Amino acid sequence: MFWQMLKGALVRQNRKMFMVAVTIALGVSLTTAMLNVMLDVGDKVNRELKAYGANIVVTPRAASVLREIYGLENSSVGAGQYLQESDVGKLKTIFWSNNIVAFAPSLETQVAVGPGNANVVMVGTWFTRQLELPTGETVETGIKQLKSWWTVEGNWVKDTSVDEAMVGTVLAGKLNIKPGDKMEVSLPDGLRQTVRVQGVFNSGGAEDEQIFVTLPFIQKSLHLGGKVSKIDVSAITTPENELARKAAHDPKSLSLKDWETWYCTAYVSSISYQIEEAVSGSRAKPVRQVAESEGTILQKTQLLMMLITILSLAGSALGISNLLTANMMERSREFGLLKALGATDGDVLLLTLTEIGLTGLVGGVAGYFLGLGFAQIIGQNVFGSAVAINVMVIPWVFVSVILITLVGSFPAIRMLLALRPAAVLHGR
Amino acid sequence: MSLLELQDVSMIYGNVKALQEIDLTVQQGEWLALMGPSGSGKTTLMNIIGCMDKASSGSIMLDGVDFSGVTARNLTMLRRDKIGLVFQQFHLVPYLTAVENIMVAQYYHSMPDEEEALAALDRVGLKERARHLPSQLSGGEQQRVCIARALINYPMLILADEPTGNLDETNAKLVLEFFQQLHREGHTIIMVTHDPRVAELAERCVVLEHGRIINRKDQRMVCREEAIS
Amino acid sequence: MTKQSMYFTMIWHALLRRRSRMFIALLAVAIGATVLSGLVTIYYDVPRQMGQEFRSYGANLLLLPIGDQPVLAETQMISAVRLLPPDKLIGIAPYLYDHIKVNEQPLLVAGTRFEAVKKVSPYWQIRGTWPAEDSEEIVLGAEVAERLQIEPGQLVTLAAADSDGDKKVKVAGIVKTGGSEENFVFVDLSLLQQLLHKEGMISVAQASITANETELTTWTQTIEQQVPGVAPRLVKQVTQSEHTVLGKLQALVYLVTIVVLLLTLICVATTMMAVVTERRKEIGLKKALGAENRSIILEFLGEGLALGTLGGLMGTVLGFFFAQGVSINVFGRGISFQPLIALLALFVSIGVTGLACLIPVKIATDVEPAIVLRGE
Repeated sequence: MFWQMLKGALVRQNRKMFMVAVTIALGVSLTTAMLNVMLDVGDKVNRELKAYGANIVVTPRAASVLREIYGLENSSVGAGQYLQESDVGKLKTIFWSNNIVAFAPSLETQVAVGPGNANVVMVGTWFTRQLELPTGETVETGIKQLKSWWTVEGNWVKDTSVDEAMVGTVLAGKLNIKPGDKMEVSLPDGLRQTVRVQGVFNSGGAEDEQIFVTLPFIQKSLHLGGKVSKIDVSAITTPENELARKAAHDPKSLSLKDWETWYCTAYVSSISYQIEEAVSGSRAKPVRQVAESEGTILQKTQLLMMLITILSLAGSALGISNLLTANMMERSREFGLLKALGATDGDVLLLTLTEIGLTGLVGGVAGYFLGLGFAQIIGQNVFGSAVAINVMVIPWVFVSVILITLVGSFPAIRMLLALRPAAVLHGR
Repeated sequence: MSLLELQDVSMIYGNVKALQEIDLTVQQGEWLALMGPSGSGKTTLMNIIGCMDKASSGSIMLDGVDFSGVTARNLTMLRRDKIGLVFQQFHLVPYLTAVENIMVAQYYHSMPDEEEALAALDRVGLKERARHLPSQLSGGEQQRVCIARALINYPMLILADEPTGNLDETNAKLVLEFFQQLHREGHTIIMVTHDPRVAELAERCVVLEHGRIINRKDQRMVCREEAIS
Repeated sequence: MTKQSMYFTMIWHALLRRRSRMFIALLAVAIGATVLSGLVTIYYDVPRQMGQEFRSYGANLLLLPIGDQPVLAETQMISAVRLLPPDKLIGIAPYLYDHIKVNEQPLLVAGTRFEAVKKVSPYWQIRGTWPAEDSEEIVLGAEVAERLQIEPGQLVTLAAADSDGDKKVKVAGIVKTGGSEENFVFVDLSLLQQLLHKEGMISVAQASITANETELTTWTQTIEQQVPGVAPRLVKQVTQSEHTVLGKLQALVYLVTIVVLLLTLICVATTMMAVVTERRKEIGLKKALGAENRSIILEFLGEGLALGTLGGLMGTVLGFFFAQGVSINVFGRGISFQPLIALLALFVSIGVTGLACLIPVKIATDVEPAIVLRGE
């Protein structure tokens, strides 16, 4: 009989319960979408922040190369030590290789370009080089990936070329150079080389006064085959905390357990440490300007998302519970009748809860899949990539649906139990 | 001229013939009782007379005006102006006081007038309960408020659908006494009932069965016997 | 009593004497308005707030001397700065670059104002302390300190590259950034200008301003026109990336807001519909009493508008407090009240509630009163 009544209730009331199911579905879909997005947003924003360029700089341990800023004189090029170009690929063999998004080795020198331009920096590097890793995969990386904010008039240099070059917009302006021109540069030892300018780039920074050539070209010119003086790395990192800072200062000061935690978390300091392990004779330092800011922005974004999620969840929970209560109130006559016919409070309660439960279940399942759809819409439209579907979300959603429907029905049920059948049946 | 004249009125819902060829005349000042078993069509007939429904065929004249072909909107206006309704389930607006409930009827008709409404309540003996909500009134008191409301716009015709059906003995008696007074005052009353004691207060009795009037010949004071049989 | 006052009496009592039902409806509207007002405020505020966070990346605007000049006058820098909005300017740090000898070693030196540097380049990590104000204390870059084996607190001798006398100064702190700063010695600007006899001169000024790319471009153009001698340049690495990332964040909040709004609107609508449907008998009664459909619709509309207004007001206030809470917890800053958003939330609440009332009422008034009054 119970099932008959239940069936009757559901079938007759189907329009109203349908509305309730739809609302629950929407609430659940919102919860699912928000939770999935919230759990993934950190990763996504992190990738976006990679636009800021290198956050780790790798240099030879013993070198102290002084670099100049804004076209000033350089007192001396540091003597001696370099890194091996063949070691660069090892960056993608460390524990955190998947977090290494882009990297570019470089070697620089000062050249003279005609009279009055005695101290122009010429940098040899990878532009968008295909690198074969020891693991067998190929990866494409270089300053094109690293310095995403560069705009180029003309073309990028091909890494396979011999004497192609790119000139910074400020320098090009001074020397009146356009893409397609040839340029003569004089190296420190007096040797003269000619380069073909492929493009003029705008970086909005110090590089605008520099010339960029391929790494082999400059290595040949300086007789430093297979050597590089620095590697810029852009890695996805976890924001630093106390542990990370302590480790950054001196890894050996950590306890074994702490050390493992630190090593196995993608802090910029632990990635730097692992790079030092992989690339011989190197020192890897976080570029604080980029690393710290990234961390802060990431944290704030995640916190913001979390708070918005809470608001929307609260809003939808309250909305649904409200609807349930209104729905119950609408049916007070029906319940009064049941009670008058001899149903106990327990009977009415059971019937109601089962009804709500079934509706909630149907709505919940539909809502979950709808929510995954929403999450993907958000992911594609905002970040241009799919949002990772987190299976952990399912139990959370399940629990919240149950909670919402229970809490939502609470005022209504309380009202139901307080109903006096006579009052209801006689239209009071 | 008769106040109400129905000629050959039928009401068909799909396949169901709720009313068939009803001829009925009601004079001013008459108290007519409508009787019959459930499903006989008496409620349908009441609804048609009360301008709450339109007949499928036939003519209905109220006060010389034929309203069988009238639009729904005009039906509403007719109902408002000429008919007072009293239901079995005393329908009052639950969140308005007794006097406010009466003023609602005035409001839709013309203008709310608190003094008149209070006077109406006084006539049904409920002046002190004017500011009470329906939930604070007994069944009988609520019904009396309904009667006061039905009268407020000086209707030509009072339709009552089992007005004592939901009342206990005492209250029923009170309400019926009031109807008797109304009758004495010259109001025209059509009342649906299946309580013979109620029916016998009426002057005339029409019995319906399967949508037809079965006592065309003799409609006077035979209600008691009809009711028993 | 007039017809109008009766109208209001009916609406008033409908709302007041049916407290529990109306409370539920009110709650639904208030929730909707809260979410709307809160999220929309956050949406408009995120670029401003996050934008300020992005200032931690450092300078986004440089003021350079034009052409091949090595230096520009500090007064020119000040004129240029005057053209920038003071409330958005985080800081402006002048730099004078040259050579200097520290303990007889030739090194690069930068003269600057440390208070300004703290604001413009918050990512500097100082071991030791920042130089005390108005002192002659200096800061060494980490590479330099390592080479010279100097610790904070030690004294060093400072001498101009081509000159005569020298000065003994204390090293207040050592700066670590992983960038080019580590190769410099930092000295107070006035002190350096004095030592080098380059009073009033600077090589470049770094500015950190909260602004988007278009605003920055406009200001650079203004400065170019109005302060000859100063060549302003955007630091594209910073401005462009900021532009991209902020854009994505805003788009994210926008989409989320839309989804949430849709949901709460539906909840409000269905709740209102349920509440109105409950009163079908009352509608039938009124029709029986001679009310025209229009009258009944107007009555319910009146109730809906009253609910929408009250709920809207509550929600707008609550939403503002929510956004304020978020702002303080996430960014550590408050927000100012936005009357436009409040009005928007209010109007949307009224509109939605009114509509959500209308639909079921329209359906109910189409039903013949006889059917309703006979009971279910």
